[in-house]
Amino acid sequence: MAIKYKILKAINISGMNFLAPVVRLAVGEDPQKQLREIGRFIVVPALAFLAFLLLWSVLAPKHKTKAGEVPTPRVTWEATGGIWRFHDRETRKDEAYQFTGGQRLEALVAAKSRMAELDALETKAKAELATVEASSKEKYDAVVGPVKAAYDKARETTSESRRTRTEALKTEAAALANSGADAREEFIGHLKAAEVTTGKEKTDLDSLKDKYTEVQSIAFPETKKAQRAVTLLAEERQFLVKYIDMLGEGSREVKVTESKAKYDEAKTAFLNAGPDEDLFKLGSSLVKRQELMATTETSSYAKPWTLPKQIVRSLLCVFAGFLLSSLIAIPLGILCGLSPTFMAATAPFVALFKPVSPLVWLPIIMIIVGGFMPDPANHWLILLFGKIPFIGNYKIDPMFLSSAITVALCSLWATLVNTALGVGSVDKDHMNVARVLRLGFWSRLFKIVIPTALPLIFAGLRISLGVGWMVLVAAEILSTSEGIGKFVNDMYTNGSSQSFAQMFVVVFIVGIIGMILDRIMVIFQRLVSFDNASSAI
Amino acid sequence: MSPIAQFPPRESFLKLDHVSIGFGPENERVNILENVNLSVKENEFVAVIGFSGAGKSTLVALLAGLEQPTAGKVTMAGKPVTRPGPERGVMFQTYSLLPWLSVFGNVELAAKSVFPEKSKREIRGHVEHYIEMVHLTPAMEKKPHELSGGMRQRVSLARTLAMQPEVLLLDEPLSALDALTRAVLQDEILQIWEQEKKTVILITNDVDEAILMADRIIPLTMGPKATLAEAFPVTLERPRERRTLTENPEYQHLKTDITSYLVNLNREARASRGTRIIQMPSVAPKEFRPKSRVIGIGGKHA
Repeated sequence: MAIKYKILKAINISGMNFLAPVVRLAVGEDPQKQLREIGRFIVVPALAFLAFLLLWSVLAPKHKTKAGEVPTPRVTWEATGGIWRFHDRETRKDEAYQFTGGQRLEALVAAKSRMAELDALETKAKAELATVEASSKEKYDAVVGPVKAAYDKARETTSESRRTRTEALKTEAAALANSGADAREEFIGHLKAAEVTTGKEKTDLDSLKDKYTEVQSIAFPETKKAQRAVTLLAEERQFLVKYIDMLGEGSREVKVTESKAKYDEAKTAFLNAGPDEDLFKLGSSLVKRQELMATTETSSYAKPWTLPKQIVRSLLCVFAGFLLSSLIAIPLGILCGLSPTFMAATAPFVALFKPVSPLVWLPIIMIIVGGFMPDPANHWLILLFGKIPFIGNYKIDPMFLSSAITVALCSLWATLVNTALGVGSVDKDHMNVARVLRLGFWSRLFKIVIPTALPLIFAGLRISLGVGWMVLVAAEILSTSEGIGKFVNDMYTNGSSQSFAQMFVVVFIVGIIGMILDRIMVIFQRLVSFDNASSAI
Repeated sequence: MSPIAQFPPRESFLKLDHVSIGFGPENERVNILENVNLSVKENEFVAVIGFSGAGKSTLVALLAGLEQPTAGKVTMAGKPVTRPGPERGVMFQTYSLLPWLSVFGNVELAAKSVFPEKSKREIRGHVEHYIEMVHLTPAMEKKPHELSGGMRQRVSLARTLAMQPEVLLLDEPLSALDALTRAVLQDEILQIWEQEKKTVILITNDVDEAILMADRIIPLTMGPKATLAEAFPVTLERPRERRTLTENPEYQHLKTDITSYLVNLNREARASRGTRIIQMPSVAPKEFRPKSRVIGIGGKHA
């Protein structure tokens, strides 16, 4: 039973209250009530989400865009697989490049055997596609045929009727030679009427043509599936070709061996050179060879940025900004809360800068940061970040710093205001206790003021982190600093239906990460809330 | 315990000399307390009794040094009281416990700041001694929100005692408690007073409580411009037995006297305010506060 309360307490602290009835049900506590709760807090939200997915599936294909149909949940899910496959394959290539000895050969054998399998699979998939296309040809004709026939017929009748009309008018015009003004006026009327009829016929024909074009693009699900299978296999083949190269000829080990051989050759040539040979030339070539060998030994595969890596960089950036904002906002907030004078001095800045959009801050910050770092690659700060393990892999550049500063500027207000409020709301009785105990300034600050303000400080931090995460993605889109925002920007520029779907994936990824960050802050907030009251979520 | 106790008790140990205090701007200041004179003997137990709003808490604040008088002098052992300090321990009506500290932590904070020279182990022993004195040893690691009202007030008492003050100022310490808890705590406070022999000023609105505990009962007249009236000495023998006390004719006499005095005070005050009846606005409280609170900053809920 004790364990039950521990679990329930953990659930409560983490704010995952919807799990509580499941735990209670598991220990057999009032099953009817728990089932009702599960119904309300788990089944109902799940149903709502299903309804959302259904609506999305139905509505999305109805809208056509330049980048194809709006992706359905299914397409979005497939795009998630695509993003992951890309990441996985790039990671494998990176590893392959660095494999040596038996490991490399083993991987090479495995890759080659997969390549052999692929041949058979591809033939099969292509055959299937052909069959599917053949069988769907009938279906296609059945759908498209009548529309095409109607269009062709309409085209014919239209041109026919137009010709007849023109002929008739020409005849009429010929007859006009001897007629008076009235007849000529009448003829003009006929001409105008003929124009109108032609226009109307053209519109009708156009609408038929549109219908025909639309119906032509019809794709049957089975054809789509077969096409997708073929595409996936082709992509895998493309990968395997590169992968095998990375394990074989293109591997670092082979390259190092080659350059070592060349170096040895050059060395022999230099040492054994006769008196009539150019020792200067041979010597310089030897030095060059040596340098080349050294670079080859430490070289690595130029791995492109994949979404998972971009996500990690975005998280690093948001934490950097969040840290910066906390370091500024908490001390300032404490000062504001302690001193009404300081508060009065700060208030106009808060009011003025709080509403400023990150999209205004970012370019300004970029220029300012750029001013500090005329040669970013050799700036001490960038070099310092480059040396830190883990963080060094994420290419900390002025763009990263600018994004982090923008995040800090936009998110510090919530912490500042909440901290000031928390510090200002110290109980008068507690202050009296401090006075009776004759606590000094620092004791008062750390033993009374900050503990009082802590729940509010954390409430502020929670808001700040949420704001920061939102701001960051926007900042990355604008600054094209590697990260989730950059990914979205790339996909937008790319403009294919595949990349359109990947942008949808990003929506969910950003949402889920934001949710997790918020949960983490809620847990912290509850841990410092001394009255154990559950927080508003 | 305190070394001073070995000497004969000093006569006017804590003294208010023609003290007035008011709030607001100078030209329209209304005195809450006016011309208050009080002289408390060392180790005496004095109860100040009065209606709510009469200025009882202001009186405590003056004695503690939390407020400065606008006129007159507050002195302790002949020296003027200019600021609060641990030699005059205050026990607040609202407990004023720090909600993020345990029972031990709350008492420890007081002990540490009053006896900075003591070692960690000495402080621990000191704190445990006073927690034991108020019978809270089993709840030592509990947080205030896990305790009942009576237990919280005991923590407050332990904290005040841990400062080893020369004067205990008890500002309606028991008025927020139910009758049973109140009785138990009254006995405990009395018992501790017998042991420690300290000067105590108890602020209360309960005549029974005052008679049971005090050597002298001083009524506070109705505010504004409240002042201390003639004292009623309580000569009942100690220890006073709660059960037999009510049958004691002296007790009955005293209770009748004090009660009728207070009732008269109230009547006079009403008469002096005139017959003007002010229509009060409807102030039924609305429940604005959400059921759950993130921002629970102790205070009166602690």
